[in-house]
Amino acid sequence: MIRKYVDVICLNDKGGNVKPLYLIWDENRKIPILKIKEICPRASLKVGGSGTRYTCVFSSNRVRHLYFDRGKWYVEMNDYVV
Amino acid sequence: MKRVILHCDLNCFFASVEMLYHPQLRNVPMAVAGDPKRRHGIILAKNVLAKQRGIKTAETIGDAKKKCPELIIQRPDYDSYSYFSDRVRSLYYEYTDLVEPFGMDECWLDVTSSIRYFGSIETIVSEILRRVKEEIGLTLSIGVADNKVYAKLGSDLAKEDSSFFIRSPEDVFDLPAESLLYVGKSAIDRLHSYAIYTIGDIAKQPCGRLEEILGKWGTTLWIYANGKDSSPVGIFGSHDEAVRSIGNSVTSVRDLYDMDDLKLVLTQLSDSVSSRLRRQKLYFRTVCLQLRDIHLHTRSMRMTLAENSDLGKTIFECCVKLFQERCDFTVPYRSIGVSVSGLSARKDTVQLNLLEERPDQERIRKKEEAVEEIRRRFGKRSISTLRMLEDRELSGTGSEEEYTFFPSSFHER
Repeated sequence: MIRKYVDVICLNDKGGNVKPLYLIWDENRKIPILKIKEICPRASLKVGGSGTRYTCVFSSNRVRHLYFDRGKWYVEMNDYVV
Repeated sequence: MKRVILHCDLNCFFASVEMLYHPQLRNVPMAVAGDPKRRHGIILAKNVLAKQRGIKTAETIGDAKKKCPELIIQRPDYDSYSYFSDRVRSLYYEYTDLVEPFGMDECWLDVTSSIRYFGSIETIVSEILRRVKEEIGLTLSIGVADNKVYAKLGSDLAKEDSSFFIRSPEDVFDLPAESLLYVGKSAIDRLHSYAIYTIGDIAKQPCGRLEEILGKWGTTLWIYANGKDSSPVGIFGSHDEAVRSIGNSVTSVRDLYDMDDLKLVLTQLSDSVSSRLRRQKLYFRTVCLQLRDIHLHTRSMRMTLAENSDLGKTIFECCVKLFQERCDFTVPYRSIGVSVSGLSARKDTVQLNLLEERPDQERIRKKEEAVEEIRRRFGKRSISTLRMLEDRELSGTGSEEEYTFFPSSFHER
């Protein structure tokens, strides 16, 4: 598994919260984040790293962790399927 | 009421942060070490595999590689370390406001009043261990006792990612005396010569006898050994604790062989110490010079002035005088430290010395302030003494910004 940094489109709300809305995959696929199930500080021991973990629902059967670590977003990846 | 103090010590902190971001380093012997080109090439931290191969903290990269040729060396990333240090600390603040840092990776926590809220000491300890591991990705050892000294002993006894409770002084009496806080090499030599080997030996001595052996310090050690230390866990970030000393030190790019070399380094160190003094509007009374030779023997010497001052020139002259009186260049030096203590707030009026004439003090101050202002506006290298131009290699080190990493967090609060 590797740490793959990704571009993310976010909403910075009035309360100072950051909510990821879309994940940009391979420069051209814009994948909507349907729902965020959980936000918590967490280390990613699989790929290395530590920050805020967003558990995101991309579609009915795809739930992935998106990490925000000192200004950068990344996902844990072992293949090219999101 | 008995206090409950935790000492939380992050396990091989620098190495753990590196392994957190480079998981592949978990399975190989790895150490974090400074840059050998700038002669900072000593081991700062190592992982468990490197420890098993006998790698010690503070040995040179060369020595470490001899023991373990496949050792992977990582350069330190201090920004990352202070980021993680802050994150762990803010987690501690969720359990108590009494948090006292001891270096980047250690903290004392006084949780006496938090126990009722969280249920029990065990809950607090296990929750801190779990959360630091899960949320931040680091492991720590926690020592629990009713005073700071025993708590620190406890964290040394605890294994990685676990805790150790010291419930009575007898728990630590069998430990060697050198494991006690602040017992260094010279104290241990003296204690051994009196057949004092364990903490229990220290504790069982009459207090007066230790004072005979170690001077005033003996009493303090006796108090530590008996678990009677009552010093409070200080609140970090509170402004009531005054700065006690200001100092800068540097390991120069090459060894120092003669007075010219030494003076060059001293000029820079004195300048930066005095500029920090002036920024904080302080005067000093005592100058301390610390020298480490190429065999890593350290000696320090100090002198106290008759009157207060904040001049770099005075610091410089005192250091030169101290050196000329007590040292020579039979062995070259590799690192120099200059610090000032006996600090007092600067006042508008000064008590002048009747016996000594010193008409040029004001002029020197004005000159130093002007130099400082030029440096502030145009950069550190914009103005320097001729001496520094003669040896650009050596004068490349020793500017103020190099040291602000650790001392400033402490002094500038």
